[in-house]
Amino acid sequence: MANELIPATFKGFAVTFREMFKKPITQQYPEYKRPVYPRFRGRHQLHLHANGLEKCVGCSLCAAACPSDCIRVVADENTANNRVSAGERYARIYEINLSRCIFCGYCELACPFDAITLGNEFEISEYSRDDLIYTKDMLLGRPIKVVPVADPNLYDTPVPYYKTHS
Amino acid sequence: MPSTEFEKIVLAGADDHDLTRLSEYERVGGYQSLRKALGMERQAVLDELLAAGLRGRGGAGFPMGRKASFVPKPEQTTKPIYLTINADESEPGTFKDREIMQRVPHRLIEGALITAYTIGSNHVFIYIRGEYLSEFEIVRAALAEARDRGLVGANVLGSGWNCTIVLHRGAGAYICGEETALLESLEGKRGQPRSKPPFPALQGLYASPTLINNVETIATVPPIIEKGGAWYAQFGVPNSAGTRVFSLSGNVANGGNYELPMGISLRELIYDIGGGIPDGRKLKAIIPGGSSTPVLTADDIDTALDFDAIGAAGSMLGSGAIIAIDDRACMVQLALRVAQFYQHESCGKCTPCREGTRWMVNIIEKVETGHAQQGDLDLLLSVCDRILGKCLCPLGDAAAMPVASYVDRFREEFQAHIDQGCCPFGDSSSLDRILSPVQQHARLLRELAVIA
Amino acid sequence: MAAELVTITIDGVELQVPKGTNLVEAAASGGIEIPVFCYEPRLGAPVGACRMCLCEVEGMPKPQAACTMGATDGLKLHTAATSKQAADAQNATLEFILVNHPLDCPVCDKGGECPLQDLTFRYGPGNTRMTFPKRTFDKPIPISPLIALDRERCILCYRCTRFSEGVAEDGQLVAVNRGANSMIATFEQEPYRAPFSGNVVELCPVGALTSTQYRFQARPWDIQNVPSVCGLCPVGCNTSVTIRENKAKRVQSRNHPEVDQGWLCDKGRFSSAHLTARDRITSPLRRKRRTGIEEIDWDTALDEAEALIRGANGRIVTALSGTETVELAYALARLLREGVGSSAAVLPEETSDALDPFRLPLSAIAHAELIVVVGDDPVLERAPIVDLWLRQARRAGAQVVTIGPAGSLQAAPGSAAATCERLAGDRDELGRQLRVSERAILIWSGPGGHGGATLAALAADLGFHERPGCGAFHLPATPNGRGVAEAWAAASDREDEGGEPIGLLIVSGDEAASDPNVRHLAEHAEHVIAITLFHGLAVGWADLVLPATSYLERDGSLVNLEGRVQRLRRAVTPPVPDEIAWISKLGARFGVEISPHPSVLFEELSPKVLGGVTYGETGDRAPLPPRPPLAAPTGVAPAPEPAPVAAAAGSFQLVRYRALFSGPAVERIPELQFQRPADELELSAEDASRLGIAGGDTVVVSSEGATVTLRARVNRRLIAGAVRAAEEHVRDLADIVIVARGAGA
Repeated sequence: MANELIPATFKGFAVTFREMFKKPITQQYPEYKRPVYPRFRGRHQLHLHANGLEKCVGCSLCAAACPSDCIRVVADENTANNRVSAGERYARIYEINLSRCIFCGYCELACPFDAITLGNEFEISEYSRDDLIYTKDMLLGRPIKVVPVADPNLYDTPVPYYKTHS
Repeated sequence: MPSTEFEKIVLAGADDHDLTRLSEYERVGGYQSLRKALGMERQAVLDELLAAGLRGRGGAGFPMGRKASFVPKPEQTTKPIYLTINADESEPGTFKDREIMQRVPHRLIEGALITAYTIGSNHVFIYIRGEYLSEFEIVRAALAEARDRGLVGANVLGSGWNCTIVLHRGAGAYICGEETALLESLEGKRGQPRSKPPFPALQGLYASPTLINNVETIATVPPIIEKGGAWYAQFGVPNSAGTRVFSLSGNVANGGNYELPMGISLRELIYDIGGGIPDGRKLKAIIPGGSSTPVLTADDIDTALDFDAIGAAGSMLGSGAIIAIDDRACMVQLALRVAQFYQHESCGKCTPCREGTRWMVNIIEKVETGHAQQGDLDLLLSVCDRILGKCLCPLGDAAAMPVASYVDRFREEFQAHIDQGCCPFGDSSSLDRILSPVQQHARLLRELAVIA
Repeated sequence: MAAELVTITIDGVELQVPKGTNLVEAAASGGIEIPVFCYEPRLGAPVGACRMCLCEVEGMPKPQAACTMGATDGLKLHTAATSKQAADAQNATLEFILVNHPLDCPVCDKGGECPLQDLTFRYGPGNTRMTFPKRTFDKPIPISPLIALDRERCILCYRCTRFSEGVAEDGQLVAVNRGANSMIATFEQEPYRAPFSGNVVELCPVGALTSTQYRFQARPWDIQNVPSVCGLCPVGCNTSVTIRENKAKRVQSRNHPEVDQGWLCDKGRFSSAHLTARDRITSPLRRKRRTGIEEIDWDTALDEAEALIRGANGRIVTALSGTETVELAYALARLLREGVGSSAAVLPEETSDALDPFRLPLSAIAHAELIVVVGDDPVLERAPIVDLWLRQARRAGAQVVTIGPAGSLQAAPGSAAATCERLAGDRDELGRQLRVSERAILIWSGPGGHGGATLAALAADLGFHERPGCGAFHLPATPNGRGVAEAWAAASDREDEGGEPIGLLIVSGDEAASDPNVRHLAEHAEHVIAITLFHGLAVGWADLVLPATSYLERDGSLVNLEGRVQRLRRAVTPPVPDEIAWISKLGARFGVEISPHPSVLFEELSPKVLGGVTYGETGDRAPLPPRPPLAAPTGVAPAPEPAPVAAAAGSFQLVRYRALFSGPAVERIPELQFQRPADELELSAEDASRLGIAGGDTVVVSSEGATVTLRARVNRRLIAGAVRAAEEHVRDLADIVIVARGAGA
C-alpha cells in the first residue's frame, strides 16, 4: 500500500515544482491596473448640459428603478434667482448610498434625461460607511482617482452616445 | 326646365305675394290649417303627419310623425312639453331655412302652432342662428303681427289653448345645431351635446319632454294639414316623400334655393335648373348634402336626390345642400377647408373630435404644402377611422367621413401632392383665396413652415 | 326597497345586478375593469365625455360609452379584454388624449399615481404618430395659493368643473373657449377661493390641478399612507396622511361613504404643515420669576407638575379644549380624579347623549325629503362636510329650510330654542310636515342647545325615534367634546373635594389656551399648567408649559357629531413624548396605574361609555352604532336657554361665529391665509340703507367701551336688527352693539 502512495505523492510534488518555474498570471494590483472595459459599471456620474445647467430634474425615476433602494432624491422648484436645471424642477438633495449600491446600472437605464451614468471608476473604498454616502456635489464632480480604460475600438459592442458626450 | 314647372309647397305663393305680411299670408289661405287643426283631435293631426311620410329636413331625415309620437302625451307626464325649432342653420352650403324665414315666416309660425298643438305643448322656442340678424328681425316682426291678431299667446284663435313662441338668438356655434347642444344653449349653459339616452323626447329642455324639428320640416306642416297627408305623400318618391328646398351653390350658373320634388336627379338640378357649369369648365365633384356628407364624383351625376339613392351612392342627402365643384378646384384644398371648419366648430367635449379634427387639419395642411410623406395618407385615413363612431355626437362623424371620402375618391390628387412636393394647381386653384382667414389656421401654417 | 335584478353578461361572465346599475359599476362588481376618466359617480349623472369606456355591446354597431348605460336584462357587453372593437376604440381614445398631452411625466407631480399613465400602459398605444407641434399654454398658473393649474396637461374630463358647479356649487372653475382651444379657468382670473377647492386636486386624473403645498415633495414610491381621521372639526372626515421620512406631506381623503363621501374641506386637507410651525414648543418650559421662561428637561418638568398638583390641595380645575382624544381625556381624568380627587373640568360647550336615539349617518341627509336647520351659525363654518350633504339633498329635490338670522326663514339670533318649541306645537305647518315625514332631518347649528338636549326634546316630541329614516344632528363647536366629557366622567366615581379659589388651572390644548374665558379663569388661579403646541398662546401666563402633540401624531379615538367612534393613527412621530406617556408617569407618582398605551385605555373605557366597541372595529371605516331606545323622560326639563337680550332701538344684536378658517393651526399655514375671514361686518339690507351704509364702507362697532373698525357688507338674507361678524374680529365686544358709519371710505 505504501508503494502506491509514494509515486502519487511525488507526482504531486513534481507538479508543484514545475509550476514554481512558470510565469505567474497574477496581476499585481495596484502597481498594475488592468484596463476596464469601456462599459464597465463603476461609480455614478451626474452630468451637466453644455451651458452649465444640471441635467437632473429630480424626477426620482432612478430611485424607483433601483433594486437596492439606495438613491434618495428630494426635488425642489427652480426659481428665477436660483436656476439649477432647465425646466420647472431640480434635485435639491441627491444622495446615493454606495455601500448599498450593486452597480447594476438600472438608474442609468431609467433616467429620461441621461443625467446619471455609471462611469468606470471603482476605486472608491473608504474607512467609514458614512463616507460612502455620496451627495450631489460629489457625484457631479469628476472622480479623483482615474482607472485605465480599454480602447473602445477594440470591441464590437458600442458605447452609448450619452456616456461620452454631455 | 325651369324650376317654376314644379309645384311648390313650402314656398308656395311666395313668388307672387309678400308673405312676410300677415294680411298677404291670410289672402293665400294662411292660418286656415291652424283653424282646421284646432278643430281636430290631436291624434288625428298626428296621423296626417305620419301619413305624409315627412322626414326631418335638418339632416338626419328621421320621420317627423314618428319622432313626434315619442313625446309623451300631456296626460302621461306632469312636466311641461316643449317644442323647439332648430333655426341654427350652419351646415356649410345650406341656406334654405334662411329663405324660408325671409319669405314665408308666417308659414313657419303656423307650422309651429300646429305642431305644438299636436304634441300638447304650450311653449315653443325658435333657436335662430346668431348671424341671421335680418331673418331674426323678419321673424320677430311676423311674431308681433301674429300676437296682435291673437294667433300666438293666450287663447289662440279663441280655442282656449295657449301657446307662446320665444325667439332666441344663438351666438355663432355650429354645434348648437345639434339637438342636445341646442337645448343646453337654450338653458343658458355651454353649448355642448349631452349623451343620449336619455332622449330629448323624454328629457329634453329643462329635463322635460321636448320635440325638436328643423325650420323646413315645421314649415311643411300647414300645407300637409290643409290638403292631407296622403296628398303630400304623392310628391317625391317612395321613402322620400314630398318636396324639398334644395340649396344649390358652388360652380354653377344659377345658384340658389329651389323647391323641387324628391327624386329629381342631380343632373337636372345642376344642369337644367342650375344652368350648368359656367365658363365651359367640367364638373369634377358634387357635395350632395352639405359639407358633412361624403363627396361624389362627376360620375354620380345621374343619382336621384332622395335618401335611398344618395345613400346607395355612398353619401347622404343630409341637409339637401348641393355644392358643385368644377375642375379648377384642388380637392386637397377643399378637404382642408372642410376639415378646418370642423376643427373650428368642434365643441371640445369628447376626446376623438377635439383632438382628431385638429390632427386631421395638421396632416392635410402638410399634404397641401407638399411636405407630406407616403405614410401620411394612410395616417389620415387611420385618424378618420379612429374618430368614426366613437364620438359623443355626430359632429365627429361629420368631420371624419367627408375627409375620408376626399382621400378615397381623389386619391390620385393627394398622391400628386406628395409626389410633386407641392400643389399641382400651383396658385391657380379656384379655392386658393377661400382658405380660411381665421387666425388660428394661419398660425398652424406658420408652425408647419417651421417644421419644414 | 330592493330593485329588480337583471342578468347581464360582461366578457362572457354572467352577473346579476339591480336593474339600471351603471355598467362600469356592474363590471367592477364582477372584477372586470372598464377604464374611465370622466366617470365619477359622486359628481352626478355621467357625461360620457372622455370616451375612454367605449365597449362593444352586442346588437349595436358602434362602440358605446359604458358609463352612460344602465343594466338591462340580457345585455351583453364586451370590454377591451374580449373585443377587438372595444380595444381599438380605447386605444384610439388614449392616442387622441396623448396627441396634445405634454411629455411632462418626469417633472409632473402626478407621475407614479397617474391614471393616464396606468391606462396608457394597459390600453394605449406604445408610441406616438403625432409629429406636429402640440397646442401650448402658459403653465403652471396658480389659480389660488393652494392650487396650481397646468392647462397643457388637462385632458378636459370636466371633473373639476362638475365638482365646482355641481357639488360644491361655488361655480368658480369653468371651461372656456371651444374645441382644441378649450381650457379650464376661473372667472376673470380671480383666485379659486372656496372652502372645498382642494378636492379638485384629488379628482383630477392627470397633473393638471396640483397642490402647491405638495409640489415636488415626494414620489409615490417614497411615501407611506397612514389611515387616520381629521381632528379639526366634529365631522371627523376619514383621511389618509402621506408621510415621507417621518414628515407629514399631505392629507388625502380615505372616503367614508357615510361620513364624508370622499371630500375634505381645505382646512383639514392643507393644515398638516402646522406640525412643523416655527413656534412649536419642543421641550417643557417653566416660568422663572423676573427672568422669563427657561427650558427644562422632562424629569424636572414632571417634578414641577407634581409639586404644583400637590400644592393645589385638590382645588384643581381642568380646562379642556374638546380636541383631546378620548384616551387622553380619560388618562388625564384618572390622574386628577382618582389620583388627586379633583373632578372639576370645563369644556367650551355642553355635551349630551340625548340625541343618540335619533342617530343617523350623515349620508342620510342626502336621502331626506325635509331638512330643518336651526341655529345662528352657518353650517359651513361649523361642520363643512354637512354643508355638502345639504347641497346634495337640495339637488335631489329635498326641501331644506334654514331658520336663523340669515336663513331661508329669518329668525332673531338666539331664538333657536324658541323655534324648536314652535315646531313641536301643532299650529306650525313645518312642524306638521316633520311629524308625518318618513325621511326628515333636524340640525342644530349654533351656540346653546345643551349639547343637543333641546333638539332631542323636539325630536322625541315629533316621534323621530319611531321612524328609521328620521334623525337629528347637533353640530358641536369642538371636534371631540362629547368624547372628552364622557371619558372624563367615566374615569372615576369619586366626588370632587375641590374648593375655591382655584389652586391650579390645567389648560389642555391650544383651543382652550386661546379661549378668553379660560384666560379669565387663569387670572383667578394661583398657578397654571398649560399643555399646548405653540408658543404665544399660553407661554406668557402659564407657570409650567408642557408641549402637546397634534391629532396627526396621536394614536387614539374621537367621537364625531354622529356619535361614531373613529380611530386616529399616529402618522408622524412627534418631536415630544405623547401626553399619555407622561401622564402615566405622573399617575404612578400619585398611586394611579394608567397605562401609557392608548389601546389599553380604550379597552378600559369602551364598555363604560362607548358601547363596548373594540379598538379594531374603529380603525377602518368605523360603523355607526345602532340607535338605543328612547329613554323614558326623567321629568327633569333641561335648563331653559338664556333668553336673548333684545336690542334697544338703534343698537343691534351681534351674532358672532367662529369661522372655519380660524384657529391656531390654520393661522400658521401661509397658503391658507387668503381663506381667513375678512374683517367684515354683515348688515341687513334695511339696516344698511337706514344708516346710509353701503357695502365696502368703514363702520365702527362699539359696545361698553370697546370699539372695532370693520368693513361693511350687506347680506340680503340677514334679519334686520342683527349684525354678524367672525368671532376673532369682535372678541372684545358684547352681544349688543352700536354700529355707526366710520370716517373715510
